[in-house]
Amino acid sequence: MSQQVAEEAPVTSPLDVRTVRVRSLVESNALLALLVLVAVFFSVLPASRDVFLSVDNLSVLLSTQATVALIALALILPLVSGYFDFSVGANAAVSTVLSAGLMSRLDLPLSVACVVCVAVGALIGLVNGALVTRFRMNAFVTTLGMATFLGGLIQWYTGGQTILKGISPDLIQFGATSLAGIPLVAYIVVVVAAVLWYLLAQTPYGRALYAIGVNPRAARLVGIRSERYVAVSFVMAGTIASAAGILQLARTGSATADSGTSLLFPALAAAFLGSTAVRPGFFNVVGTVIGVLFVSVAVSGLTLAGAEAWVSPVFNGAALLTAVGFSTCLGRHRGQAT
Amino acid sequence: MTNTHSEEVAVRLTGIRKSFGPTKALDDAELVLRRGTVHALLGGNGSGKSTALKILAGVHEADAGVIQVGREQWPARTWSAAAGSGAGLRFVHQDLGLFDALSVAENFALDAGYPTTAVRSVRWKELERRVVSLLDRFEIAADPRQPVGSLRPAQRTMVAIARALQDDDSTRAVLVLDEPTATLPAHESEVLLGAIRRRAELGQTVLLVSHRMQEVLSVAQDFTVFRDGRTVATLSGENPTEDRLVALMTGRELERAPQEPAATTAAPPAAGSVSLQVENLVSGPLRGVTLAVRQGEIVGVTGLVGSGRSSLLKTVFGAHRPESGTITLSGRSQSGAEDVKARMAQGVAYVAEDRVAESSLMELTVRENISVSRLRRFWRPRGMNAAEERRSAADLVRRHRVKTTGVDGVFSSLSGGNQQKAVLARWLCRDPSLLLLDEPTQGVDVMSRRDIYDTIRQSVSAGCAVLVASSDFAELCALCDRVLVLQDGVVTAELSGTRLTPDHLTAATQSSVLTTGDQP
Repeated sequence: MSQQVAEEAPVTSPLDVRTVRVRSLVESNALLALLVLVAVFFSVLPASRDVFLSVDNLSVLLSTQATVALIALALILPLVSGYFDFSVGANAAVSTVLSAGLMSRLDLPLSVACVVCVAVGALIGLVNGALVTRFRMNAFVTTLGMATFLGGLIQWYTGGQTILKGISPDLIQFGATSLAGIPLVAYIVVVVAAVLWYLLAQTPYGRALYAIGVNPRAARLVGIRSERYVAVSFVMAGTIASAAGILQLARTGSATADSGTSLLFPALAAAFLGSTAVRPGFFNVVGTVIGVLFVSVAVSGLTLAGAEAWVSPVFNGAALLTAVGFSTCLGRHRGQAT
Repeated sequence: MTNTHSEEVAVRLTGIRKSFGPTKALDDAELVLRRGTVHALLGGNGSGKSTALKILAGVHEADAGVIQVGREQWPARTWSAAAGSGAGLRFVHQDLGLFDALSVAENFALDAGYPTTAVRSVRWKELERRVVSLLDRFEIAADPRQPVGSLRPAQRTMVAIARALQDDDSTRAVLVLDEPTATLPAHESEVLLGAIRRRAELGQTVLLVSHRMQEVLSVAQDFTVFRDGRTVATLSGENPTEDRLVALMTGRELERAPQEPAATTAAPPAAGSVSLQVENLVSGPLRGVTLAVRQGEIVGVTGLVGSGRSSLLKTVFGAHRPESGTITLSGRSQSGAEDVKARMAQGVAYVAEDRVAESSLMELTVRENISVSRLRRFWRPRGMNAAEERRSAADLVRRHRVKTTGVDGVFSSLSGGNQQKAVLARWLCRDPSLLLLDEPTQGVDVMSRRDIYDTIRQSVSAGCAVLVASSDFAELCALCDRVLVLQDGVVTAELSGTRLTPDHLTAATQSSVLTTGDQP
């Protein structure tokens, strides 16, 4: 049989390739550019410029956003494989309340409280993962149910009261300490983000999760044990969420009877904003971190500029809608040949 | 020359251009349909014929060109689905768009509207009368109250055709059929083609797209051939041979290699050791299948839809768990509890029948689609070795002649045939000892088909054993050393040597159907 390849008409011209490259470059970096733009804007705006760029403000900004960042990172693990986990916010809230309770009511040392909380968080993730994979329950509804259930348990455990006393001073000290002007809690976010980046972008496990997210049947038929992989992603999400809960306690020094939704929604917005950047169309770690920074810088700037309380949620929502709309349009341009 | 048909133009496309990003799908394409003829649109995968159809259907907007239907003309940029439907174009796509759970009558009504009373309640009697008369006119033997899912495949297609033409079955309407027989077994295709032929005799204008040459030749009078987005030939009123059409599609004279029996036909069965031994396998529709495949051998499996072809392959691959029976891979007997990963570790590879649903990671890159079967190979403690992965993918793309804009291009931008070649590359890079192929060339054009056959033969000469499930008899005869016929879950015949011909296969697969009266 002859080895000759059919003479084929060239399907691409170099110019077209360049247009596509430029477009994808613009697309991947649009969110980062917006972040810089917003930061510059508030640095020169008369109403906010004095405080916005101060070390104190940036430090507060980083430490308040640390928990949201961790929850956003927890969210993207199941999201990459195509599953929602609405329970991460509530999971973090359980961890905040439980760690405070273990220390103040049972006088347990900080280390034990942390280990127990992380174990409980992982267990909640495991239950989610088992319900979703083994029993094939809809992830959206299952984790929403789990979040409601956990919110109720928090009410019961605290009796609606804030836990103020008996919390380890070491923990609160940790939450208030900065190194080289950057709060310690932000370093934790950086470490977790680095580990997740490695896991998702640089390991067979991460690549398999993306494959499952794109086509679960095809993934199964190339030997990916998708049930196990997805379940593990829920367990990791639960673990990270519980760590976020402990950081929240470290930062605020008290555990309110909050069900965690106030953490969940900004985190969801950041994760979705992030999926329009760096690797457009896919949830990714670097994009998520940029998404968190974008939302927090904008909100901080608006607050300093004296905007009213309703402005931040309106801004968050509008940013999310714009970003998703933008990336959908660009995605459509890419089109599909026959 | 037959010039019994009018020279009146029903549809004319001129100078149609369309690009998707950097890819030129259509470059000055032309197509002229004469009224009252069956016109076949031919071309390999990626030739632009699906794009042309989608432009005509108003799914894609052309970049340039003119569309004429009847006496009216439109600049192609302003063309729309509504304009097409107003001008009398009626489409029946490969996915028929029927609602299986609903009755025949309701399938008609959902398209054309329900006849209603003054208070908007449905007049069922009138609907039924209307549908009975339609079924009559289109010669469909079905009850209006019968669920569409219970119809035979050819009847379902006819229902879809009748539904498309229900509001306008005058000769003004132009019926566009996209791969109407692609998923039909041979005898169902015959029934459907007969029906299309009768419609054509009544003056219906039909545009037919199909990969099956013999079918096209048996119904069409005119032929348009696309290659690389251009119209390379328009044959009107001639009777071209299959070879001539294939030569036009490929742009080269094919030595009729795929049609020749494989050189190893006469090889003694003891040539290699047994790679796969299956005994009394019961799983899903399989009711006790026994077979063996040796190293260096290509064994085919065929049978009607529902005979268990696909289940056999999936069970051997570990995607289905068998109820009973034994599977032995290169002498290692299997417990039956192994999953896909465990079978892959023993050298089994599997190309699924449904490329879109079961093989493709559409949104990921070509590189990711290829390396997904052996991700560990590229992993180092420092992370994925991107350079090596890219090099390996580029090498495989070249070796398997995958036409792509680069290994980092999105998988969905490849044509169907090239996607299939990439999926094959995904598996062959693992050097499998047993290759399971389910309809490896379904919806694949002639050129890609030849590349795929070459690839399969190469892996066989390297010692791989191949089990191919297919409903394409010409393919089985060209590719296989022997073919097993499955009927109702058991092997009822084995054909090899001189008995391995499409006619013998047709006889062997149809035998019980013919004797029991052609029931689905």
